[in-house]
Amino acid sequence: MKDTLRLIVVLTLICLLAGLMLAWVNKFTAEPIKQAELAEKMNALREVLPEYDNAPNSDTCVIESDGKEWIFYVARKGGSFVGAAFETVSSEGYGGDITIMVGVTADESLCAIDVLKAKETPGLGAKIDAPEFKEQFSGKGIEATTWAVTKDQGDIHAVTAATISSRAVVTAVSQGLDVLKKNLDTISKAGS
Amino acid sequence: MTFYKEMLKGIWKENPIFRLVLGMCPTLAVTTSVENSLGMGLAATFVLVCSNIVISSLRNLIPAKVRIPCFIVVIATFVTIVDLLMNAFAHELHKSLGLFIPLIVVNCIILGRAEAYASKHPVVRSIADGIGMGIGFTLGLMVLGTCREILGAGTITVWGNLKWTIAGLEPMVLMILAPGGFIALGVLLGLMNHIQAVSAHRRGQTFTPPAHLDCRHCVMCGKWGE
Repeated sequence: MKDTLRLIVVLTLICLLAGLMLAWVNKFTAEPIKQAELAEKMNALREVLPEYDNAPNSDTCVIESDGKEWIFYVARKGGSFVGAAFETVSSEGYGGDITIMVGVTADESLCAIDVLKAKETPGLGAKIDAPEFKEQFSGKGIEATTWAVTKDQGDIHAVTAATISSRAVVTAVSQGLDVLKKNLDTISKAGS
Repeated sequence: MTFYKEMLKGIWKENPIFRLVLGMCPTLAVTTSVENSLGMGLAATFVLVCSNIVISSLRNLIPAKVRIPCFIVVIATFVTIVDLLMNAFAHELHKSLGLFIPLIVVNCIILGRAEAYASKHPVVRSIADGIGMGIGFTLGLMVLGTCREILGAGTITVWGNLKWTIAGLEPMVLMILAPGGFIALGVLLGLMNHIQAVSAHRRGQTFTPPAHLDCRHCVMCGKWGE
């Protein structure tokens, strides 16, 4: 009986101490983690949007389409609408979800894309994050472009030996663009 | 003197990767680049040293029956601390190491050292053991990481922008995929045996590799092992 009690007391004490220590560390890392995540988002926005002077991360417009919520980050310069960005996710990649940030300019062409999260095969599918692949999206008109890889008679050159990953990116981009096209008026006037 | 002896043993004689062959999951998974190897190695070293200190100072208090749960709680606490700190102050690295940080909890090296060493030895020696094993693990990961990154990607990325591209090298993608990890590890294990066999032979001794690493049926080491 006494032995059993000792087991319980020691283990409880150790767990209690561990919990206290974690609470303490969490307290002073919570703020830096939040800031690092925010900085990451701001960097992505800056990379995909044309020059702006507002704060797109708080200037958002939420649109529901097919039961899915799309958050559009609106960029303005001197008060007028210059572009919008959105995050889009594809589950058709080779290694889990691919999250992409897409930026569109006010004249309805693509500004740039950035891969936020991807676990594609290193050396093959991971090249969707390489400039050679991402840069071909820049400047393409939303209407004028067939959003598919060349293998599917589209206008986007897939990464060599990584058609599935490339296709996933293109599909995700075009899904977002569809929503944006339908709601461009609402988005450009949102909040202002 | 013993402090250094305890430390050095982890680096060469009882190297966790090449001699003890422990912690193979992170070894094979994160050694796709030098940067990831270094990050993983340092994180594991931090956890190893901290858990060794705590476990060895509590060794007389912890009843034998609940020692494993106690060790795991201590280790998990330090792993979570590393996870939080890395997320806050080395966000990019945290993203690329991702899943493997929480997995340090079940890294056999750490639990192995707690059970086999820290729970039986005084604090100072346990620190030496932790540092040595940690450095040995980090160096092992880095050797593997360097081989795989050079062959598989044609680059060496030490940290962030500190990066070199090796000109005129056609990368073999296989080397940074899972099979490349096994191939590189196998070749390095064999090489380690070979080096030790040759140096033992020079000193006029016979080298017997640990049973699980005995590769003397192959011609390369067999010549020296007999």
